[in-house]
Amino acid sequence: MIETLQSAKVIVCVGSGGVGKTTVAAALGFLMAKKGRRVLVLTIDPSQRLKTTLGLKDTGEISQISHPQIKGQLSAAVINAKKIFDEFIRRAAQKDELAEKILRNKLYVQLSTTLSGSQEFTALEKLYSTYESGNYDLIILDTPPTKHAIDFLHAPQKLSVLFNEGVAKWFRRNPASEKKRGLAMLAGILQAGSLQVMRVLEMLTGSEFMRELSDFFRNIEAWQFKLEDRVNTVHRLLVNPDTHFFLVTAFDLAKLKEAEYFGREIQKGGYHLSCIIINRAFPQWLKLTQVDDKARTPVSKGSRLVNFYEEMKRYYQERDQTFELFAKGFLSNSADRNFLFRIPEFDRDLSDLKDVAELAQLIEDNETRGKDKK
Amino acid sequence: MIRKKRPETLVPRMEITFVTGKGGVGKSAVAAAFAWSRAEAGKRTILVELGERSFYKDYFALPAVTYKGQNLRKNLDVARWSGLESLHEYALYLLKVETLYRLFIENSVSTALINTAPGLSELAIVGKITSGPPRNVGPKLPYDCVVVDAFASGHFMALLRAPQGMASAVRIGPMGEQSRSIDRALKDAHLCHYYVVTTPEELPVVEGIELANDIQETLGLKPTLLLNRLAQFDGKCLSEPPGPLKDFQDHLVSLDERQRRMKQTLQKTGLAVQELPWVLENDPFKVVKKLAEVFSHD
Repeated sequence: MIETLQSAKVIVCVGSGGVGKTTVAAALGFLMAKKGRRVLVLTIDPSQRLKTTLGLKDTGEISQISHPQIKGQLSAAVINAKKIFDEFIRRAAQKDELAEKILRNKLYVQLSTTLSGSQEFTALEKLYSTYESGNYDLIILDTPPTKHAIDFLHAPQKLSVLFNEGVAKWFRRNPASEKKRGLAMLAGILQAGSLQVMRVLEMLTGSEFMRELSDFFRNIEAWQFKLEDRVNTVHRLLVNPDTHFFLVTAFDLAKLKEAEYFGREIQKGGYHLSCIIINRAFPQWLKLTQVDDKARTPVSKGSRLVNFYEEMKRYYQERDQTFELFAKGFLSNSADRNFLFRIPEFDRDLSDLKDVAELAQLIEDNETRGKDKK
Repeated sequence: MIRKKRPETLVPRMEITFVTGKGGVGKSAVAAAFAWSRAEAGKRTILVELGERSFYKDYFALPAVTYKGQNLRKNLDVARWSGLESLHEYALYLLKVETLYRLFIENSVSTALINTAPGLSELAIVGKITSGPPRNVGPKLPYDCVVVDAFASGHFMALLRAPQGMASAVRIGPMGEQSRSIDRALKDAHLCHYYVVTTPEELPVVEGIELANDIQETLGLKPTLLLNRLAQFDGKCLSEPPGPLKDFQDHLVSLDERQRRMKQTLQKTGLAVQELPWVLENDPFKVVKKLAEVFSHD
């Protein structure tokens, strides 16, 4: 894993919500900064404590993190979706007046914050603009919390569909019917079939909604191509051999199956899945290989502590067996078992710089031990 | 377009429960357990998941989880409702004319639009959840209880705010009317209940409390906090001579302290807090049954 990290230019950490992507992303960044690289970690919605210790600002400015172990440079920033989307529109619209019109559209107000796809788009937009700046050797992107990580890759395309000709042209102004609004203005430019579809849509939603929607599409005409262009450039960066995907997952069967599915999708899409990190795989206090009898003595047999230990151990051993089965099936096509990496469960939330440093150390130690075995 | 009001006394009260929380806290298992306990109590129950890919298919080893629903056991169906399918059903209900409906849903452009138009998909989903007698609009759901394994924090709030947002953007026409009626239904304390799931850890608790506050502010209803995955062990474990299990005992001591602290933090909110045990089983059915027992004691 460290070899990959040393040559990579971009690492994208993906995974479902709540699996610890942010902390893992920060630890990987810390590890590489320790090794002398200039690293930027882009995170979304970090915890308050991580924000405080890393000195992150909600405004999205890049902050420098100092720590005695860092030989290179560690920077971090929070991705502020609304701000980046607004900025993108201002740049793309060129004329201020047009930009303001879009920013005021009621549907845009919803779009920029709640529309599926906009958060993902802004994350990738930020990734690309910092990559272009050339200020960093490595950028690590912590992706938005989508229920299923695959949404992250599909989202920008989904968003660009909104702006493609097929949809947008419905709502564009027809010069000949400048003064008409709603469906009337569309009558002239639509074929009979499409017009009927629009009638149905108006029946379902009402004319005011249709008016807002057509306003919206007319206003975004100017930056539609820029957005599509951006989606394409970002896609090229994501399939670049120097861009690696790290899949972070939790340790239960449903999540592992999800990860397996996602892993396949990543590879199908032409992206490079280089590492699967299983977070909180087993608790730190548990040595799965520990001999039972050793644990029993000298504590008496009826000990509550021993009983509870045995119960917990059985629970985790079962999970471990599930994992082995999963790994066998999942890796049957892949020669490299090294790309699975397990992180133990800590006794506390890992959320400040000290914890990030500790996790980085643990990853490094694990990796060295793996090498010694070979 | 709007159906005649039916006298409310003839319609048995439906109960809608939304289960949300930070990602990874066990929302889906908790939602399933709650639905399980309702089915056990003889209520016709549907467990609904949202989103593009099914979780319960793998979890319960079902052949498929569809929009229509799949029977899991007596009185309990599982379904997955997407925005697009919900809107299609609603369109058919309103249009009635099959050919017109076909024309509408088979048009690729209208499908793309529905997929991307701001808030429409969210609105369609909450519309479907509250469909029928609760609003006197839309097809009636043949269930007494609807349990929704809803989105995590931020996405869930987007779902709850969609009707309000749409109602203020579009005041006139069916869209505005529908949005207001859905919004009213979501705010009806007799109809909707909100469960925020957390685990005894810092981040899930902080995020859970924030989410509970957001729900209160947006809907004016008090959600119930569910403290999930509480390790259950005898206090003696902490004081017995540990022998070689020193690491384990240290872990339990810090776990015990953290669990107490998290309980206190949750209780300070003044909201109802319900505790759920950490079930040390890996079989989903065993986990769900065990958690369902807690709910059936209510």
